[in-house]
Amino acid sequence: MGTIRFREVVKTYPGKQPVIALDRVNLDIGEGEFVALLGPSGCGKSTLLNLIAGFEEMTSGALSFNGGTVDSPGPERAVVFQEAALLPWLTVEQNIAFGPSVQKRPRAEYEPKIRELLRLVGLERFAHSLPSQLSGGMRQRVGIARALVMDPKALLMDEPFGALDAQTRMSMQQLLLDVWQSLGTTVLFVTHDIDEAILLADRICIMSARPGRITREITVDLPRPRSVDQLTDPAFIRHKAAIMAEMREAQKEHA
Amino acid sequence: MNDAPARALDAAPVPAAPKVKSRGLFPAGRTGAAMRAALLPILVIVAWQLAGSGGSLAGGVLPTPDRVWDAWVVWAFGPQGMGLNPYSGTWLSNVLFSSMRVAQGFVLAMAIGIPAGVMIGWSRAVSGTVDPTIQLLRPIPITAWLPFSIAVFGIQDMGAIFLIALGGFYPVVVNATHGARDVDRNWIRAAEMMGASRFDVLRRVVLPAALPAIFTGLRIGLGIAWTAVIVSEMVAVKSGLGYVLWDAYYVGRMDVVIADMLSIGAMGLLSDRLIVTVEHWALRWRRLQSASR
Repeated sequence: MGTIRFREVVKTYPGKQPVIALDRVNLDIGEGEFVALLGPSGCGKSTLLNLIAGFEEMTSGALSFNGGTVDSPGPERAVVFQEAALLPWLTVEQNIAFGPSVQKRPRAEYEPKIRELLRLVGLERFAHSLPSQLSGGMRQRVGIARALVMDPKALLMDEPFGALDAQTRMSMQQLLLDVWQSLGTTVLFVTHDIDEAILLADRICIMSARPGRITREITVDLPRPRSVDQLTDPAFIRHKAAIMAEMREAQKEHA
Repeated sequence: MNDAPARALDAAPVPAAPKVKSRGLFPAGRTGAAMRAALLPILVIVAWQLAGSGGSLAGGVLPTPDRVWDAWVVWAFGPQGMGLNPYSGTWLSNVLFSSMRVAQGFVLAMAIGIPAGVMIGWSRAVSGTVDPTIQLLRPIPITAWLPFSIAVFGIQDMGAIFLIALGGFYPVVVNATHGARDVDRNWIRAAEMMGASRFDVLRRVVLPAALPAIFTGLRIGLGIAWTAVIVSEMVAVKSGLGYVLWDAYYVGRMDVVIADMLSIGAMGLLSDRLIVTVEHWALRWRRLQSASR
């Protein structure tokens, strides 16, 4: 279970000149679906993610997760932050254990799971390292493990690979594809990278800025399981060409 | 997974600091640094000694270093008794009197200042209720509290402890407030997303994140605590380094006055080192962070 539904959601930031971050946004994400939100910076895609995460409150409209309202953050909607946002005084292992431990789950239950996740993200040797001793890619893998340890119904990822170099980024994308393939969790993935959106998502929602709106939805029908090798496939290139055309079109309409 | 660990300590040893070439008088390394640090004090002492004649300078007002040293030796190790020198053999007990007052007052300052500061920084409601009062009282110098303190607590320990606690409290509370207010928003969001309650966030995110600022406040506060103990002992209590300082001045024992001043400095330095040691231990994670930058 992990359905997300936005109905005519508006988010404005008050001030002398109020900013309309989101303008009547409608979005449905089905169980186990991987949806990418693609758009330029400042188009409100992170705001949209913050609303479903429970970090911010919408101004008007209706927003539901699994049919229920969203009024605060919670472990069923795990967030992966852009800069990982690990707690710097905790080791890798302690960072991953933070969720289960504040939820008062028994140690015997989550400790084997943490070991398994450390293996999954390739950080077994770094269980007792501090975040500052890790590279950006490794830190983000801890961020993903920290989210997965809670068995979330949805993963909300806010440009998680945006700060990484190209090579690291590709290895992280492959890791995410593999993990998602085996777990089937609902994913909402915010990005400004067209390749990343096509490679990962079942569906791409293109957003435009000022006011933030979803202007196009494109289904990606590349076969699964996918891998980063497909970035150069003719089918992939065709998708990319079509999406770029759509984005130009959308830009013209909203200019 | 080909992104190699960039700064993993267990993967590669941290490169040793580049060898500093010795420049001029001093050899490189720790010994050289210690020698360099000792140079200025030694020069001052030698100049002071040479400027005096017959054991004093400035028209007999200031004793030379050797006289100060002699006075300290008698003060520290001389026989106690009702002789001509009332200070003989009382150094340690006076140091302990002052240190105990600083310790008691400062523990009080920490016990109130740290929780209060973290709460003010964390909760807008607490900030709005408590912070204006603190800011209103803070400009009153602790010396101005002396008559109040004597009137309320009399000539005894409690008056000194009150002043020390009050003087130490302000920097502790102000820095703890800053530390708790400047916590990275995403750390708090991450904790909430993982199911942390408000109290969990306070204890497991805000408090550790505020620790570096709290330690800064402790070090400043301890300095003020020493000021407060000397001031209150000079006026309101009949023992301790501050009492001896004023009493010795009154009877014209400037050698004891200077020995006393240096003793206060040494105790201040020692207690500061104590906090730095605790800080070093509590903020290990930060040391690794800066070492890898």
